[in-house]
Amino acid sequence: MKKNLKKLAALGLCVAMGATMLVGCGGKSDGGSSGGKTTLTFGIWDENQRPAMEKLVEAYEAENEDVTVEIQLTPYKGGEYWTKLEAAATGGKAPDVFWLNVLHLDSYVDGGILADLTDAIAESDINDAFSETLVNNYVRDGVNYAVPKDFDTNALWYNKEIFDAAGVEYPTDDMTYEDLVATAEALKAAGLEDGVYPFACPVDFQTWYYQTVYANGGYIINDDKTETGYEDPKTQEGIQCWIDMIDKDLSPSAAALAETTADAMFEGNQLAMNFAGSYMVPEYAGNDAIADKIDCVEIPTFNGVEANCINGLGYAVYEGSKNKDAAIDFAIWLGSAEAMKIQGETGVVISARTDAQEYFAKANEAYNLAAYTNHADEAYPLPVCMAAAELYDLEATSLQKAYNGEESLADVCKELKAEADKLLEKDAK
Amino acid sequence: MAEGKVKTGVQKKRASKRAKKDWIAAYIFIAPVTIGLLIFYIWPFIQNVWFSFNDVNKFNIATFVGMQNYQDMIHDKEVWATFGNTLKYVVCTVPVGLFLSIFIAALLNSKIKGTSIYRTLYFLPSVTMAAAVAMVWKWIYNEKMGILNSVIRGLGGKGHGWLTDPKIALYMVMIVGLWMTVGYNMIILLAGMQGISQSYYEAAALDGAGTVQQFFKITIPMLTPTIFFVMITSIISGFQVFDVIYMMIGKTNPAYESTQTVVMLFYRQAFDYGYKGYAAAISILIFAVIMLVTVVQLWGQKKWVNYD
Repeated sequence: MKKNLKKLAALGLCVAMGATMLVGCGGKSDGGSSGGKTTLTFGIWDENQRPAMEKLVEAYEAENEDVTVEIQLTPYKGGEYWTKLEAAATGGKAPDVFWLNVLHLDSYVDGGILADLTDAIAESDINDAFSETLVNNYVRDGVNYAVPKDFDTNALWYNKEIFDAAGVEYPTDDMTYEDLVATAEALKAAGLEDGVYPFACPVDFQTWYYQTVYANGGYIINDDKTETGYEDPKTQEGIQCWIDMIDKDLSPSAAALAETTADAMFEGNQLAMNFAGSYMVPEYAGNDAIADKIDCVEIPTFNGVEANCINGLGYAVYEGSKNKDAAIDFAIWLGSAEAMKIQGETGVVISARTDAQEYFAKANEAYNLAAYTNHADEAYPLPVCMAAAELYDLEATSLQKAYNGEESLADVCKELKAEADKLLEKDAK
Repeated sequence: MAEGKVKTGVQKKRASKRAKKDWIAAYIFIAPVTIGLLIFYIWPFIQNVWFSFNDVNKFNIATFVGMQNYQDMIHDKEVWATFGNTLKYVVCTVPVGLFLSIFIAALLNSKIKGTSIYRTLYFLPSVTMAAAVAMVWKWIYNEKMGILNSVIRGLGGKGHGWLTDPKIALYMVMIVGLWMTVGYNMIILLAGMQGISQSYYEAAALDGAGTVQQFFKITIPMLTPTIFFVMITSIISGFQVFDVIYMMIGKTNPAYESTQTVVMLFYRQAFDYGYKGYAAAISILIFAVIMLVTVVQLWGQKKWVNYD
């Protein structure tokens, strides 16, 4: 009897284990509508923005009592968000509405997992209330694939304490690239503490060299997406200007910055000035070591041209969604004045809707955050193509050689162009 | 059970009935693992082989391309470069790792005070998450504020960019890899050492053999099956090295190219760039190389492994 009991227990355990495994693999059953209520899933990646998204969901549910929205957060880091999204889309179980950035748009359009939002957007006020550039970021072949959510631009941040100690005047909104170099040189001449640098020039496309490449009239990918512009002298000038600052010892070496990022140095009071995207503001403002000592101004102009890169996210709808219409309604609502205001007032990101952009600067009045939005309409969107992720990797690993003085920029760019053009060719197939 | 009704000849039958019951129980016991292996290892492996003959995009839409992926692989310089780095990693870490783990196991097998504390200390790195280990070592090696350079500067040296110098970065990563695996191998070898009968040592001592002689004439030969096991598993895991390098070397690091292993390349192709078919072909190549190396070892073991 006792023995049988043991057997039974063992068997029970086995069944339990087996069952857990099967459940683990099957996952949750589809949302779908039960009892007249529609459940939508909403995929996001940023923990910082979860409270804002929860507020949005709350507001939407209050207005639409027959809809419940479930937030699914997957971290962006290491590509986890995309890996999971791609696997889920393959299995027909992607979130109904999810965040999407321009970098991934082309391959997702190609994969056929994005719902066509053209009609829904045309019926809403989105085309009028958003800047054309932002809306068009998510348009391919005349089809809208996402509602713009937010955008990020860059600004020049500085550490007042270091400037005061050196007796150098603070940077201003109307600086030029030459002024930036002069300020850095003045800081250096005044004598900074050991290990402290005036500025940093890491091998970073979006926040550093793309801005000057575009302001200088250079390009990365041509309009037909058949050729890259690395061999254009104007493109190279826009990159060389940062390498020059490293050579003048106004920035740590690119190798050192590969280990200790410019942000880490700036937050450790080891940089007098740094470029940072608007998404860095919550982190800077939340760091007690620097929060009270810093402020920001607009990115310096280059050759008299406003130099800023713009990137951002959109809300996309999953083509395979079981509640596609409800999902589209929700996505369109997320672009409404009401939703964009709720998001903007949290101060975490710059809302994409033109009339909601101001909330970002208002949410944190300690800093000159208008520096991010003053010239947003003149900012350059990131170049994208199907193999964007691969292209950016290739570019970073190649340019690193020029930054570290291993090869001249001209030589590096020649090789880079040959390889990158091959990528575009592969894309076209 | 109805004992009273037992007749002659039933004894045998009952035994087999019982054996049958045991088998069923045994199958139930191994079922969870077997089902798990089938679902999570065997089936994906078969799928992977199929993928390697296809062009598979991010969303697993496959188009048959025959041998195209394998042909591309032969002409891909990166595949050979990363295989070269991987081979360097295996050739350096396996012998050094074996030597260190045998050495430490021998020390911890002796009668010194606090052996259990030492054993725990040496084993700790193996049960620590690789990502956490990599983060800590990244800071130790950091050129500007790492503890290693602080010590060197304190002693009057100059410090060095340990992880950014293409000539040495891979070796610095190897040190971390060794630090993580030596403890685990040491425990296995220690178990092997403790399985050696004490009578051999007593006999040797009577014949006048010293500690060193005992070690080389008894411990090492008796330990060869364990050494062989540790060697095979180390080589296999060496070929698959990924996490530490992925965590420690960024894309703009000057040492990036000289530290990329073949599994890193596989990961990038599959998950960063979305060429899952090509990545599958790379993983099949890794599989083939590991299998070849293992077969050669299994064949070679007859010459040195002692199973008596």
